[in-house]
Amino acid sequence: MPPSLAETQNLLYRLITATSGVEEGFAAEENLPLGGITAVIRGDSRVSAFERVEVYANMYFYRLLDVAKEDFPATFGVLGEANFHNLITGYLVEYPPRDPSINEAFRHLPDFVRRSQWLEKWPYLSSLIGLERALVEVFLGRDARPLNCVDLRAISWGEWSSLWIAAHPAARVLDCEWRVDEIVRAVEEGLPISEPSRGPTAILLWRTNCVVGHRRLDDLEQAAFKMIQENTDFGTLCEMIAFKIGEEATPPVVQRMLTRWLEDGVLIRTVAERGNIQQGVRAVENTRGSDT
Amino acid sequence: MNRSQFRFLGFGVGLRRPHYTRVIDNHSAVDWFEVVSENFMVTGGRPLQVLERVRARCPIVLHGVSMSLGSVDPLNQEYLWRLRDLARRFEPAWISDHLCWTGVGGKNLHDLLPLPYTQEAVTWVARRIRQVQETLERPILIENVSSYLTFVHSTLSEWDFLGAVADEADCGILLDINNIYVSAFNHGFAPERYIESVPAERVVQYHLAGHSDYGSHLLDTHDRPVCAKVWSLYEQAVRRFGDVSTSVEWDDNIPEFATLEATAGEARARYESAAQSAGDARCHRV
Repeated sequence: MPPSLAETQNLLYRLITATSGVEEGFAAEENLPLGGITAVIRGDSRVSAFERVEVYANMYFYRLLDVAKEDFPATFGVLGEANFHNLITGYLVEYPPRDPSINEAFRHLPDFVRRSQWLEKWPYLSSLIGLERALVEVFLGRDARPLNCVDLRAISWGEWSSLWIAAHPAARVLDCEWRVDEIVRAVEEGLPISEPSRGPTAILLWRTNCVVGHRRLDDLEQAAFKMIQENTDFGTLCEMIAFKIGEEATPPVVQRMLTRWLEDGVLIRTVAERGNIQQGVRAVENTRGSDT
Repeated sequence: MNRSQFRFLGFGVGLRRPHYTRVIDNHSAVDWFEVVSENFMVTGGRPLQVLERVRARCPIVLHGVSMSLGSVDPLNQEYLWRLRDLARRFEPAWISDHLCWTGVGGKNLHDLLPLPYTQEAVTWVARRIRQVQETLERPILIENVSSYLTFVHSTLSEWDFLGAVADEADCGILLDINNIYVSAFNHGFAPERYIESVPAERVVQYHLAGHSDYGSHLLDTHDRPVCAKVWSLYEQAVRRFGDVSTSVEWDDNIPEFATLEATAGEARARYESAAQSAGDARCHRV
């Protein structure tokens, strides 16, 4: 009785993804067909049946390995060829790709490493992989027309305080335990990699056209950007900054931040809604603590 | 499906990211572009801007790699709806995907895997293609894949299988000439026979591409020029099938756009010569 279509596909899937190789994978099958592999797959003197399946097995693994090297170049640089190969092998066993898009194949790599023994030798590895994965997601993120200087010049001074702004949908802030952006920057610039220092680090990631950027945020800019991510008006944003650093220091700081955000393209104009107004009020109350 | 539903587009190339700027900034000598559907099934950004500008200038075709028509897993309806929405927005000349499976059990191999050439598979795949055509509101084309293994329990030749599926599903065929050559080498059949046997009334498009030679087998790598033997098969196909649109695929080691233009130009020259020798004086230009 020939195998059904389902049996054929499931067998081939198992053989292609067998980590021990096609031949050992076939030997481990519970119901081996009489006649062995050649009862299912044709082979000849040029290329045996096992070798033919191996073509697909190699394509499967090395296609995904190539994608991983492209998405995680800094991690590859830290681990080296052999360790990276082993990392991806272990990952694919636990997280075989399910999404039609190959861009999603390594979505769970940060979680996988976080629970693994890889952290014993490289304690910063899950932070590094998390940053590199976030860079990929920012690249693939939703688009919107960023706010620019021309837009702002069209707004009269009286309207500024009620100007509602939000973060570009592709932009995000990543909180890391380690300063792993140093490694990413070193790889981007072709410099030697060294072990990162440990310490809480907020990293802003954004995309301009097809180029993804990243930089560190200090505490004040991090708080300001968080408000923007929650959708706020410009006046409330300035109030929060003034509360933290004083009214006199606020204008040049706001100007510097705004200039940088416009250059990075991380702001979009939005529309005030009642819920959003309440969010802005709560944010100010939280930063002020209880009223005196 | 009637072949007259698919107009002759001429000679096109696959649109790839390294060429986006070149294509939208400069006039191109190619007649149309084939785009990978999945690259544009996104929520916004530069890819869709590029596609809008390209589409404003010339026809496009959506060519997918994820439909997994041959899998025993259920069809991915969400994928099909997104593809349908993309087609409604950009009005491609047609939509195509591959006669293969890409995964099973909810898992994806990210590869184009061959089917056993059996009546069970014909019936199963044809039913799924009809469902896809209903969702997409149009007939689609199915492409023959290159393969490195065949199944002992196959009862049909690959070309008879392709023809049977297309007839039962009432869909068109995207005949990949390079894939025919690669599979013929790998499995020991005559590629000329494949071309002579495919139902002519269903062939709507050709693919031309390069492959890698590993001695014992060929790999469909799409990373180098079309070889002489594939050109020869192409000319045989032109003499048999008449007005069929041609596109050049180049997916790896991608050269300058001028190289793809030149390859499309060579396809046009060979097409005109082969058509003339077949006594067909109709050489359409878009």
